[in-house]
Amino acid sequence: MEKPPRSLPVVPDEHASAPPEPGHGRREFLANVLRLSGGALVFLAGGPAAEAGGASGKEAGEAYHWDEHSYAYLVDTSKCIGCGSCVRACAAENQVPDGFFRTWVERYVVGMERTHVDSPNGGKDGFGPIQVDFVGTKSFFVPKLCNHCRATPCIQVCPVGASYRTHDGVVLVDAERCIGCAYCVQACPYGSRFLSPLTHTAEKCTWCYHRITKGLRPACVEVCPTGTRQFGDLKRPNDPVRLAIEHDRIGVLQAHLRTEPNCYYLHLDKEVR
Amino acid sequence: MPPEISGFAFPNDVHVWWSLMIVMYPYITGFVAGAFIVTSLFHLFGRTEFKPIARLAMATSFSFLLVASMPLQLHLGHPERGPLVMITPHFTSAMAGFGILYSGYLLILLLEVWFVWRPEIVLRARRSRGPKRAFYAALALGTYDIGPEALEVDHGAITLLAGIGLPAACMLHGYVGFIFGAIKANPWWSTPLMPVIFLCSAAVSGIALLMVLYQVVSKLRGGEPDQPCVSALARWLWFFLILTITLELLEIIVMAYERSESWLIISELLTTRLEFSYVTMQLIVGGLIPLILLAVVVLMNRYLHERVRNTLSTVAALLCLVQVFSMRWNIVVGGQLLSKSLRGLRAPYEPELFGREGVLMAIALLVAPFVILWIFDRVLGIDPPEKTGAASPAEPPADVPARVRSA
Amino acid sequence: MEHARHVVRVVLLVMVVLAVAFLARGFLVPRSYGMYGPYRYDNVREQMNVRRPAHAGPAACEQCHPDEATARKAGVHRNVSCEVCHGPFAAHVKEDGSVVTPTVDRSYTLCARCHRKVDGRPAGFPQVVLEEHVSGPVEGKVCLGCHNPHSPKL
Repeated sequence: MEKPPRSLPVVPDEHASAPPEPGHGRREFLANVLRLSGGALVFLAGGPAAEAGGASGKEAGEAYHWDEHSYAYLVDTSKCIGCGSCVRACAAENQVPDGFFRTWVERYVVGMERTHVDSPNGGKDGFGPIQVDFVGTKSFFVPKLCNHCRATPCIQVCPVGASYRTHDGVVLVDAERCIGCAYCVQACPYGSRFLSPLTHTAEKCTWCYHRITKGLRPACVEVCPTGTRQFGDLKRPNDPVRLAIEHDRIGVLQAHLRTEPNCYYLHLDKEVR
Repeated sequence: MPPEISGFAFPNDVHVWWSLMIVMYPYITGFVAGAFIVTSLFHLFGRTEFKPIARLAMATSFSFLLVASMPLQLHLGHPERGPLVMITPHFTSAMAGFGILYSGYLLILLLEVWFVWRPEIVLRARRSRGPKRAFYAALALGTYDIGPEALEVDHGAITLLAGIGLPAACMLHGYVGFIFGAIKANPWWSTPLMPVIFLCSAAVSGIALLMVLYQVVSKLRGGEPDQPCVSALARWLWFFLILTITLELLEIIVMAYERSESWLIISELLTTRLEFSYVTMQLIVGGLIPLILLAVVVLMNRYLHERVRNTLSTVAALLCLVQVFSMRWNIVVGGQLLSKSLRGLRAPYEPELFGREGVLMAIALLVAPFVILWIFDRVLGIDPPEKTGAASPAEPPADVPARVRSA
Repeated sequence: MEHARHVVRVVLLVMVVLAVAFLARGFLVPRSYGMYGPYRYDNVREQMNVRRPAHAGPAACEQCHPDEATARKAGVHRNVSCEVCHGPFAAHVKEDGSVVTPTVDRSYTLCARCHRKVDGRPAGFPQVVLEEHVSGPVEGKVCLGCHNPHSPKL
């Protein structure tokens, strides 16, 4: 096994930055950073490799223990400007096929009588001016993604156990075992899943599992310029997302279906489904 | 290009993932269950008027069952991974039950077919020479005992298997309805009525198919269909059609009366995208008209000439087949035209012509069971042996007179 | 019993078929299936390493572009990640260390994504009605002619 990475620019905090290793060019260092952070030096608690790696290192990227985390996502709809950066970042990060969306942004124009909703190309190219044929009294954007429900209808219906929920609270699809029956796509009330035209298996938001298990934030959160999208770990006592869920008035989408989403929304309007 | 949307659909919600194949799947399984119900009426419930078609019904059920899993396989993104449903079934999924139920029912039906046709197999094994003899001997599992005692044992086995088979057939099809009815995300599917509707319409399609098949087979053999049998088929078809249409209407009426949040979009779905396939085909052409035709056959049975009865009930049966197909279409496709945003409808779905999930494949799937049926007839002979002049031991063991004679 | 020999044979045959199927299943279930639940546990690690992260955050950009980074941190765009406009880091610095110059949209559409006056944006957010903000047709206008994107002044 290679030398463990000393530190990574994983915390997207402005102050955090690692000094380049001596004797290396900066570019080489950066390339190494990415290679290592994408490398195989990750272990799971209780997994067969956990003993081999030892429980010594807790630095990001070296050892990952899924029982030490419980992720949650917070969307403050009042902050979203509908720039679509998140949708583009998601597509680039996860190689999402064109016309399919792991995340998207909806725009609501609401009047006393009627509501107009649109999401041109999932909001990937941003939003243009809009004309509605009624008097809209309020308008806002709502980012959407997989809710990573605790009582997921999608995992429930998977006939082969290709879809599952990890201990840290992420709903994933095993692309090697998915038979492409699309039952999960039908069962998701939020329209978060699709069959990839490339792999013919079900695909969905993973909260960028390849990032969050290295201490990075999901790509959509990483690029959100307004703080609309926030990602947190409920097992950290002073986590801002945890504090918001604990103390603010929050909503979840389609609460009547009792899917127990782990995506929480601040300032959710009744028109949003 | 994404299809045209009226209103707002979730951006991933604009695809019809469950294609024509998933329309064919409950349609074909419906024939399996429906035909089995008819043979059970004879084998289990002693409705002797169905004796002339009891064997035809069982062979039909068997032929369609062999094809029933094909459309499912064909629609999978990874057909080669289909067996995973059996290898690692995830039992919270309604679909995982399919592997178990399908193979269980296949086993029961195989055994029942074997017991019913065993005398025929043995006779053919005795009669033929060379490889043909080896084939029938293997089918007979090497035992040629068709004496009265052995037939008595067979009769017991058949009754037992029919007793297990009927609930299995009902569950196989009720479960198809459950696959849709238990999806809470989709208000057009999510109703506990769904399995019941599927079951009733399975009976409709099975009886209707046998009605048509019986007429055709009789003509092919140069005979006339047995009129009490036709009347009985018409009577049961009428009964199940009334049940089906009542339940289908109830589903809509309850939704409309409750003014549930989804009713706005569902009423739009029914009056725009599904107007032809729902209102015209499912309710009027396939529902109301055969209901009237069958009412005539049943209520005026005594006054009808044979040919009038045959024609009326055949036409009604054909329309019923259309009704059931439309119903499958409207459920499967209709549910996917509706976005789960409950704010938008997708443009109508048009299946491709060629390809794995295309129209030609669907036609091939519908023709295949009849080819199997024809092969079945060549290999074992569907008709009761007494017509082909075989000796009395070869009579169907479930036949009461045969038992009396052998006693 | 002597007249039930065929029944015994068919039952034996069924049992043999079932036993073979059961044994075959044992070989076909993946090794890590069922360790933590009805799924293949190995997939969790596969998912963790499915690809290298494409977005690296402003700290990574700062290594080579300190001037821009300093300007950004001091201005109103301090919360706007470099990758919002410049695209993901991984498209710029390849895995083998080679560098590809990313194409950046320098037209008005880039700025308009956030700052065009559009229904839905929060009222306090700086937005302009493009048609009122510039004279003449909007097409072809370059916001960057007047505004420094790394530290724009209002």
